[in-house]
Parts: sequence; C-alpha cells; structure tokens
Amino acid sequence: MSAPIRLSSLTRCFQGVVPSIIATCDGRGMPNVTYLSQVYFVDEHHVALSCQFFNKTRRNLDENPLACVELYDPLTLEAYHLRLKFLRSEKSGPLFETMALRIEAIASHTGMTGVFKLIAADVFAVESVDLVHGFQTRAAEVATEGASLDGMRTELRGLQWVSERINRAPDLETLLQIVLEALEEFFAFSHSSVLLYDAAAGKLVTLASRGYGPSGVGAEVALGEGVIGIVARERRVLRLTALDADLRYGRAIRREAIGGSAGRKLDAEIPLPGLPDAQSVVAIPLAVGDRLIGVLSAEDRDPMRFGEWHEAYLEIIGNQIALVIDRMLSRAEEPSSDGAAVCPPGHAAAAALPLPATGCRRRFIYYKTDDAIFVDDEYLIRNVPARILWKVLGEAQRGGRTEFSNREMRLDPALGLPPVKDNFESRLILLRQRLREKCPDLQLVSTGRGRFGLRTNTAIELVER
Amino acid sequence: MIDTRLKRCLEPGLSILVGSVDSRGVPSCSRAIALASQDDLETVTTYVPLATSQETIANVASTRRLAVAATHIVDHCSTQLKGTVTSVRLAREDESPFVLAQLDRFADLLSTLGLPKRIMRGVAHWPAFAIEMRVEEVYDQTPGPRAGSRLR
Repeated sequence: MSAPIRLSSLTRCFQGVVPSIIATCDGRGMPNVTYLSQVYFVDEHHVALSCQFFNKTRRNLDENPLACVELYDPLTLEAYHLRLKFLRSEKSGPLFETMALRIEAIASHTGMTGVFKLIAADVFAVESVDLVHGFQTRAAEVATEGASLDGMRTELRGLQWVSERINRAPDLETLLQIVLEALEEFFAFSHSSVLLYDAAAGKLVTLASRGYGPSGVGAEVALGEGVIGIVARERRVLRLTALDADLRYGRAIRREAIGGSAGRKLDAEIPLPGLPDAQSVVAIPLAVGDRLIGVLSAEDRDPMRFGEWHEAYLEIIGNQIALVIDRMLSRAEEPSSDGAAVCPPGHAAAAALPLPATGCRRRFIYYKTDDAIFVDDEYLIRNVPARILWKVLGEAQRGGRTEFSNREMRLDPALGLPPVKDNFESRLILLRQRLREKCPDLQLVSTGRGRFGLRTNTAIELVER
Repeated sequence: MIDTRLKRCLEPGLSILVGSVDSRGVPSCSRAIALASQDDLETVTTYVPLATSQETIANVASTRRLAVAATHIVDHCSTQLKGTVTSVRLAREDESPFVLAQLDRFADLLSTLGLPKRIMRGVAHWPAFAIEMRVEEVYDQTPGPRAGSRLR
C-alpha cells in the first residue's frame, strides 16, 4: 500500500500551468464538469476555488456539497484526484484578498476590470488525495525543480551580496543598476525592472530595467492598472504563473462580455511593460510602512520560473531597497550649502561619461500643450523632467550657464514640483537615462551633492510650440 | 442540421472532459480522448481510456448520467452535453485511427501553447471504452457571463 499523498507535495499542480477540472452534481443527480481557473492551496486539509460567476458549479454545490477535482503536474503530467466537500464561501479576509488580487491583475491586464472579478473564495475540506493510476503510460523525463540546500546557500549568499552593495551604493541610479544586476547574476532573472512611484501624478515610472533594451526606461504604469499597478495599489506581492493560459481565459471572457451589456464599460487592453510573451511574473511592492516607493518586477518566458522561495526572497530584498531609496530621496531633499557641496565617493565618476564627438546640431522642440520635448523629431520626455530640461537648456542658451543646483529647481514654481516628496532625484535619473538613449551627446552630470551640470559638444536649437 | 456554434464541439483537437456521479451522489471527473456524433448531436460517442475510466464506467453503470465538456484550448470556446448513457462498449480497432488522430491534433495544439508533445504521447488513450449517450441538454460553457446558458 502506498503512503498517503500530502497536499503540500502537489505545489506544482496548484500553479495552474495545466488547468484543473471539477465535477459536481445537482439535486436531480445530473453531473457537471468544467475547467477551473484557480485551485488555491490553503493548508494540508483545505483548498479554495475561485468563484467568479454564479455558474452551474456554484449552484450545484448548494444542492450537493461534494466535488471531485482533477489536478495535473505540469512537468510529469501525472494526474491527481481530490475528493472535496464544500464548507463555506469567503467574501472578505486574507484568503479572499489574496485570490482576488491575482484575478484582478489578470482582469486589469485584459481590460476586464469590474467584469472578471472574484465573487467569493469557496473553501473545501479535502477528504482524500489520490494519484490517477495509469494516466501516464511512461515516466516523463523531468528535470525536477527544488530548493536544494546548495540552491538555498546560493540564494543566501546572493542576499548577503545584494545587501552589501545596496548599502554601499553612492546614488540612486547606481543602486537600481546594482539590484537588477544582482538578480540576474544570482538568480538568472534576465528581465527585470524597477519603477518608482510619482505620488503627484499617481503613476509609476520605470527608472531602471534589464533585459528589455533601451525602451523600458520611462515606461509609465498608472496605479491600479495591470499587474504592476495593482501590486503598487495594494502594496502586496503578486506572483503569476502560466500567465498565457490566464490571459487566454481572460480574453475568452472579454469576447463573451463584449457581446453583452458589459461590453460598453470595457477599457482598452494594457500591454504588459516588458516581454510580449511573458509566461510568469513576480512583482514586489517597495514600501516604507504604508508609503509606496515603487515596484520591483521580474518576468520570464518559463511559466514556472518563479516559485514561493523567489517571492519570499524578493520581498526581503524589496524591503531593503525601499528603505535605501527612501533614505536617498530624503537626503537629496535636504537643503545643502551651495559653497560646501560634497561629492560622495564614486558619485561623479559614475555620472560622467565621455561625450561622443558628433559635431552635429540638435533640435529640441517643446510642445506646450503636451508638456513634452522631442529631439530631432523623436519623443524624448514629458511632464516635470521635460520642464527641468527646458529650463536648463534655456538658461544655457541665454546666458551660457552650465551649473545648476537641485534646490533652485525645487524653488522654481514653473517646474510644478510638489512641495514635499518631490522625487526630484528620480526625475533627474529618468531625464539622464532618456538623454543617454536618445541624445547621448548631451548629458546632465552630477557635480556634487545636490548639484548637476550640463555637458554637451553639440549645437542646440530650441523651439517652443 | 446543427448550427456552426454547435458544430465546434465536434472539431478535432478538443479537450474533452467527462463528469459522472455514483448512486450516492459522489461526482467524479476524468479526461476523454475523443468525441464523435453521426446524427447532429442527437447522440454522441465519447472515447475514454480504459486505464483511467474505471470509476466513470462504474458510475454510468449505476446512474446512466453523464456530462461531456468539449473545449477549444486556444480560445476557450466550450460546450457541455448532458444526457443518458445508452451503452458502454470496448472501442473497436477500426475506431483507433480516429481516436489517435484526435489525440494527435490535441497534442499539436498543446505544443503551440508550450506543452511538449512527448509528454502528451505518454498519456493513456488506447484501449478505450466507447460510451454512447443520448444528448438531452446542451450548454454554452465558454467562460464569461453567458456561461451556462442553454444552447439546445
């Protein structure tokens, strides 16, 4: 006789890579069978199923509480039967919120907010767990995943390595770069990004990315929109696996809903920032207390790339990053004495890059209505960073001025910086990054604490429209 | 003649699920490999692998109730047929090519979604039972607000 199967040993089955199925039965003895979007492991004796529509399965459970669920291991494709008994529906509380967050992220991503949502988390007692013998006729060749002790040690070393470097980072730009490098070096997270929250605009702005090419930086996500926006709004970690299956499921609902009255209220679909074919994503809120600092996000084409261990690990790193970012932003806001600016070690060296010898002429156009700057007819930047650049370029052209202080920018009402927590430093980083990508022969280099300078070897033409 | 929407549940490469129930009201589910109908869904034949269908066969022997869901795995268009089982027999050898073709097409579609074909090749499919059912109810089961609406 084989040993009983522990529910917790079926972790892979709960990731939703291969959709599970459920059979129920109504009061007249007619069965019903359907796919499930999510089977949530609660504890060794309970699972929860997501109730998104008052469908036949849900109505059957009111008449007969028994159910049978078939789960599949996505690596071996072994099947398991869970015999369940419906206990209760939870419409609030930690379980409901955790399940709702995942569904809301998918709904938001497919423009289905308000239509595709969790009604209740239905909790079941698990009466038995059995392997479906004979489902697979041969053993699949599987590279078994798992947190081996070696793996754990590597990750702990990674934590130590990241911590050291985070604490030694001389400035915000270097810090963000270090974090993403470390994630790639130790965990092979090759597609990751950090977004910082701009409270005044209610948006997150990508300030550093790795694996996406230059276009990732500057991408914006509104609070509550898409996976990243929801993580930011809820200040909760979100790990999605088998994203493609979820998106197809969401899109199926969207198609159906468009045919009905719900179609009138649908939003346009928001493309995920990053990989167009991402299969899994983990997003971690960066927060200090209740205050949102930003979001750290990683994604991959492997549907099972991120496990619970990564989630826990990134949360630890995320807390640390949030504290350091907050400290750096607060430090940057402190008024500094103009005559006693001190450049932290490594600061200027990191900021100054050799200017390419182009000898060309650059044409900057500021569109007042859009609050955006284009360089040589290509979009460069908008909003506050655009106004900062316009002020700098204007003063340089009018009076030949090339040295500036953060403080004077903060005091200039025309720039529209919020009076507190203005994120000036992060706006400057974004501006520098965009210049690096679109106009490398013009740089804003750090010249000391709270100071920066304009460096260029190209002729500049300014046009305002 | 059945309409285009209903015909979709007989296309090749669908994911076929079966639900049954025993005389005490305990439900059970399993996978089928193929679904066929020669009379516009008045009756259907569902092919279930012998290796994994003992419980289904025992249940229909006692209650004769069966639910069969056919789903397109790419767009989730899904139909559920419910009815009374009229007979259960071992599938004939001449039905084997049809069953295998359905499984192959299903494996093709799964591979486009990232599941390697070699894994599907290991799934039990033959020998199979052929369950004949008189269709009494047909439902649209595509996820969304209209899921559960009766088509016939």
